[in-house]
Amino acid sequence: MHRVDHWLGVVGWGLLALFSLAAVSAPGVSPHDPTAMHAPMLPPSLSHPLGTNDIGQDILSELLYGARFSLLVGCLAAGFSTVAGVFLGVLAGYYDRLGFVIMRVVDIFLAVPRFPLIVFLAAFLKPGFWTLVLFFTLFGWTKTTRLVRSQILSQRHDGYVEAAVAVGVNDRRILLRHLLPGTLSVALVRFIVEFQHVILAESGLSFLGLGDPTVKSWGSMLRYAFEYPTIFISDVWIRWAAPPGLCITLVVLGLTFVGFSLETRVNPRLNGKRG
Amino acid sequence: MNVGGTKIVQYLITTLVLLTLNFFLPRMMPGDPLSYLLGDPGADAPMLLTEEMRANLLEYYGLDKPVVAQYWDYLSGLARGDLGWSIYYNAPVGSVILGRLKWTFLLGGTAALIYIALGIVLGAVSAWRRGSRADVGLLLTVFSLGSWPPFFLGMILIVFFSYHWGLFPIGGAQSAEAARIGGFAQVKDLAHHWVLPGLTLVLTYLPGIYLITRNSMLGVLGEDYVRTARSKGILESLVLLRHALPNALLPIVTTVAMRFGFMVMGTMFVEVVFAYPGMGTLIYEAGAARDYPLLQGAFLVTMIFVLVLNLVADLVYGRLDPRVRRARA
Repeated sequence: MHRVDHWLGVVGWGLLALFSLAAVSAPGVSPHDPTAMHAPMLPPSLSHPLGTNDIGQDILSELLYGARFSLLVGCLAAGFSTVAGVFLGVLAGYYDRLGFVIMRVVDIFLAVPRFPLIVFLAAFLKPGFWTLVLFFTLFGWTKTTRLVRSQILSQRHDGYVEAAVAVGVNDRRILLRHLLPGTLSVALVRFIVEFQHVILAESGLSFLGLGDPTVKSWGSMLRYAFEYPTIFISDVWIRWAAPPGLCITLVVLGLTFVGFSLETRVNPRLNGKRG
Repeated sequence: MNVGGTKIVQYLITTLVLLTLNFFLPRMMPGDPLSYLLGDPGADAPMLLTEEMRANLLEYYGLDKPVVAQYWDYLSGLARGDLGWSIYYNAPVGSVILGRLKWTFLLGGTAALIYIALGIVLGAVSAWRRGSRADVGLLLTVFSLGSWPPFFLGMILIVFFSYHWGLFPIGGAQSAEAARIGGFAQVKDLAHHWVLPGLTLVLTYLPGIYLITRNSMLGVLGEDYVRTARSKGILESLVLLRHALPNALLPIVTTVAMRFGFMVMGTMFVEVVFAYPGMGTLIYEAGAARDYPLLQGAFLVTMIFVLVLNLVADLVYGRLDPRVRRARA
């Protein structure tokens, strides 16, 4: 019997695959250069399937290139922060003294309201692509570290690890071969959650005009559409504001589905039958 | 030192880190804050500083003094409640912020009460009826709602409820007419303006609370003490309310606390979309006008607010759980 979480996962992976495909193939399939100017506010036509914006840029092309930016920032930042989080978490769980130091740093980071802080930093530093990735990585690793550490702490005294220690296997090999694999499911779920968070946060920053102004992103498309004076009075919003908004929504939805199905599979407490 | 004391020290360190960051960030920018302010051709609003405003700014940043002295002035100024001088409003930052805080509290606070309560109720029901049609329906609804970025959801609500159907105002917190009349008319007017931004917030943050409650409840429902309670033949509703829910609520408190920062920022996005005159709109305006002292002050107040909420949640958590409480006593 297929359970809800199974087919939600399938839909989720499907959505992600679709958007990744759009992002990868943007230069090939988009009808125009997203920064080239045509006549402003053109209605949809064969040459401009979604028409053009107020300065004459092709909206479909903007959308496709926006997928590149949003997904790449999200994927890189979530990837880096998960790898860093797992690395530090494994160390913190295995070496007690180092673990103490790492966990005090984690405590400080966890107490910081990270989203307001990122907006604050962005307002002053006017981040580009790599600065954004750096921000989200810097504030994204702590939760992973905490989860991975507790995972390691509980695995450390399992028979197979103690046996490996007893036969004199060195630390590096114990960490990599015996402890690390057990943390991968936690890491995968954290990656998805972090990905989702970064997509929402990045589009939020761009919407507020705090992102990279030179790059097409879904958030900045929404910003310009929203600032257009008569956007909601006519039906222009359907082809201008709605597409980027729906793209963000669908990517986040896809990640939610994937995360939910993974978490149900990984967490035995959610997996078991009740009662 | 007990757990509460450790927590407080930890939060004090975090606060100091944030204060320091707030101090150094504007000074780290190329040139000094003043030249950055005056010489930026990209500013959305051209700024004409009078001699008086200039003097105020110079005094606030104190750039002619050594950095240590500046830092001390900054900290002692904060201790007196002096947040600096807003360029755009030509008024003390503290009083500008005070005028906006009440609106953010009204919008964000009431919405938070609603989505937290509703999320817990729906999550508990969903977990209890796991796999049923109600559960699946709720899950799907909540997932599809929770993926909308708040600023986009707000726009969609404006398009339909304000422009197409004319049911609610497109923005603002109140109308001048009702504010003048006061009394019941004003309350009604405030509520009328609250509906769309409030609804946006509830729809955005309900899913998170719902999912945590559902997961937490599912975990608890599999525990031995719930099985014991069931096997004693207690009413199912009592098992849920007395035995399962109190235990399930503990992780909810922590998770809600850890998301305060996110929720506060969400409120700010919604404010911008609905031109609601709270802190979010203030930060947006300050950013557009390059009013850095105001931006700094607004962020400081926001972050301290979130930190205090987090600390309270941390301390309450210890109180709520009798196991932690007794272990300490």
